[in-house]
Amino acid sequence: MDLILLAINAILVKNILLMQYLGNCPFLGTSKRMETALGMGMAVIFTLTLATTITWVVHRAVLVPFKLQYMQTIAFILVIAALVQFVEIFMKKTLPALYLSLGIFLPLITTNCAVFGAALLSVKNDYDFVHMVVFAMASATGFALALVLFAGLRERFRVAHIPGALQDTAIGLITAGLMSLAFLGFKGMT
Amino acid sequence: MVAVLLFLGGLGAVSALLLGIAARVFYVKEDPLVVEIENALPGANCGGCGYAGCHACAEAIARGEAAANACVVGGFETTVQVAASMGVKVEAREPQIAATSCTYGTGEADLVYLYNGARDCQAAVALFGGGKLCPLGCIGLGSCVKACKFDALQIGPDRLPRFNPKKCVACGACVKACPKQIIQLTSSSDRLVREYTTAECTAPCMRGCPTGIDIPRYIAAIRDGRPQEALRIIKETCPLPLVCGRICPAPCELQCRRNLAGDEPVGINPLKRYVADYEMRTGRHINPYANAPSGRRVAVVGGGAEGLTAAYYLARLGHATTLLEARDKLGGILRHVIAPGRLPEGVLEHEIESILAMGVEARTGQLLGRDATIGSLIEREGCDAVLLATGGYDSRKLLLSESERVTPVPGLHLVVDFLGGVRAGRAPAVGRRVVIVGGESRSREAAELCRRAGAREVLIVVPGPAERMSPPLGDAAALEGVEVRAATIVTALFGAGDRLVGLRLETAGADGCPAVELREVDTILLASGRIPELVFRPVLTPERAAAAGGGAEAEVYPDFAVAPTWATAEVYRTLASLGAFGVFSSPEPGRTSDAGAVVRAILSGRRMVRGVHAQVMGRAIESIPDLAVEADEVLDVREVFGVSVEQRHEPGDPLREPGTEADWAATAELSGLGDEEARAEARRCLQCGLICYQKAM
Repeated sequence: MDLILLAINAILVKNILLMQYLGNCPFLGTSKRMETALGMGMAVIFTLTLATTITWVVHRAVLVPFKLQYMQTIAFILVIAALVQFVEIFMKKTLPALYLSLGIFLPLITTNCAVFGAALLSVKNDYDFVHMVVFAMASATGFALALVLFAGLRERFRVAHIPGALQDTAIGLITAGLMSLAFLGFKGMT
Repeated sequence: MVAVLLFLGGLGAVSALLLGIAARVFYVKEDPLVVEIENALPGANCGGCGYAGCHACAEAIARGEAAANACVVGGFETTVQVAASMGVKVEAREPQIAATSCTYGTGEADLVYLYNGARDCQAAVALFGGGKLCPLGCIGLGSCVKACKFDALQIGPDRLPRFNPKKCVACGACVKACPKQIIQLTSSSDRLVREYTTAECTAPCMRGCPTGIDIPRYIAAIRDGRPQEALRIIKETCPLPLVCGRICPAPCELQCRRNLAGDEPVGINPLKRYVADYEMRTGRHINPYANAPSGRRVAVVGGGAEGLTAAYYLARLGHATTLLEARDKLGGILRHVIAPGRLPEGVLEHEIESILAMGVEARTGQLLGRDATIGSLIEREGCDAVLLATGGYDSRKLLLSESERVTPVPGLHLVVDFLGGVRAGRAPAVGRRVVIVGGESRSREAAELCRRAGAREVLIVVPGPAERMSPPLGDAAALEGVEVRAATIVTALFGAGDRLVGLRLETAGADGCPAVELREVDTILLASGRIPELVFRPVLTPERAAAAGGGAEAEVYPDFAVAPTWATAEVYRTLASLGAFGVFSSPEPGRTSDAGAVVRAILSGRRMVRGVHAQVMGRAIESIPDLAVEADEVLDVREVFGVSVEQRHEPGDPLREPGTEADWAATAELSGLGDEEARAEARRCLQCGLICYQKAM
């Protein structure tokens, strides 16, 4: 029960994109087409879960014993970057099909603050391993959900009357704000 | 401090080590060929080639699945680079551009409802096929613009797409995006040989014009004071504007919608003469674009309107073109039959010079069969095609008695010439095997005479069914050595050097499957009154196939004792297509065309060019489906509204002008329209489309 609540909390109530405003770069960048949004969503679920797990281990096994917690930020960034690079090389060899569908999104994730943010949050909230994994997966799912919903809206924009001044990113940001307000409605669930 | 340095350094070192090992362990060997090809490709990932992006296309090329020119947007340079990587030879592919034929935007066209939904053509078409009354009308919401990855088109203020030919790479994305399917990709070759189809917006006058001049567009150019532009538009489909401007019966004017308003038609032909005269007055030859040299050589036989037209368009298509004329001057009927009062000689000369300026080599005083033969043109001069445009029966009179004895195609004679020759005591030797094509009543007489002249076997072939054969022909079958075959057509002729080798017959079978027979023959007698337009091609003999290299398969004909070196081009009009009669009939290669007016001769000349072009470029000659013709009532416009009746501006009569008696004698013809008159007349044009027309504001 505890885990389910955690998952719902991470997906809807504290949606990493719409409530915590992490990872807005790909949110606007890869949401013009539904296909791209789905691919990016899947790539984020995969990488975020993996990165959070590894950073959690690094934190517990290296930083805490050596009292180096203040190095968290730089260490996590380094680990995530190396990890994404490794995953890319690994996938290209062993899972070419997956690589072809997710490959182009992986470099985008290297510098994604949603991934980094989830890693930091799981450490900050002092989750145990199981909670950490569920939290990471749920956060990433929330990201994918928001991204796909947003892409659906943006596809419709292409055929809508939009005043010249608001076209493209401007209407995108306004819509993101409205979606965020809508997600506020989940606040009462906790 | 030390710990921090150690930690960061260690973390970095471990990561680096891991990545280094991973890069080696998981190294994926990529085909260097694919990389090379992909580098040569433009990298736009437009999908125009039919593959998912440039990488997939490069892989397909490397596998040999796609050709070196698979990329539609890269142009010739890309193809050359890719081909160099693949080690194959390439031929330039002609650039194409996209265009629509719709000229009336939603602001002006007749609408059935006002659309205010999603800004997408697909969405608009889902609602009763779009807001426009015209089924070919552009929706104007710009789905094509969104599909274009090259910024080559945008919606103009008239709510119609504007194509930028400089940016268009003919990837075909807009063609697929358009729910009305009114965007077409065309190359300049397509435009030179095209005829209108029912899928295009055409004005009634355009459908009425046999040669299909884009009349509203050239009149608009005159109206805007751009006669050179008008001339270019006319020469797109008609190379003889000076001639047509004077002697054309102007069937277009009968179709003019001003007639529906109780008005006189627009002076389409006087306007054509106005721009043509404008060119003549400048003393220059305004010739539009021509394609790059194709490396093909074509000979056109016959220097009349049809031959001149064919030579002009073949030259514009980039083929090295030679025009052979039996008389000492080009022009045919235009020169020798039309009264100089209607068509002064100086005018004709200027027109012929314009055509020769396009790069046509003319040889006059060359009678085919006497001074040159099909064999000599194909074998010695290396022609890739020889086109007979020797004209109708009336034009044969120009050559007096000579043409009755000299036949352009070895062994091919007209029945009338044969019978006349027999009566005059100089019948040609018919050899042992004779085929008579056509069921005229005199075919039987000819068959008997052939038998008497020493023919062993005479075959009369009739395209129609046996029960519709004339009685004397039925009797002919009873004669010894004479066979009559119904429902049979000739689909090919074969020759070697200066002799006829054989022909191919196709006979309708009971099961609907035609029986094909290759038959050796010495003489063919044609019952029709003239030799039709025939296209001859070199036969790919084993020697020629070996010389050409490549995988071309040599043609071998074991049925013939003598190996043929030339043959007629393959025609698509076989028994399988309804109402078709093989080589000896069709407006494309091999059909007796009606040349009742010069404009019809121009049409058949252009149609022949379409066939010849396909032939020399190694493509099959095909029919155009859904041709738009005059009789088409695509959408019934029987009344026009909002059109004010205005007087037509007639060409001036020089006799009525003071002090021009001398001029009248010098030009011996009516003067054309003046600049102001022409512009005023051009303003009368309603600029019709399929159903749209300009209404008075």
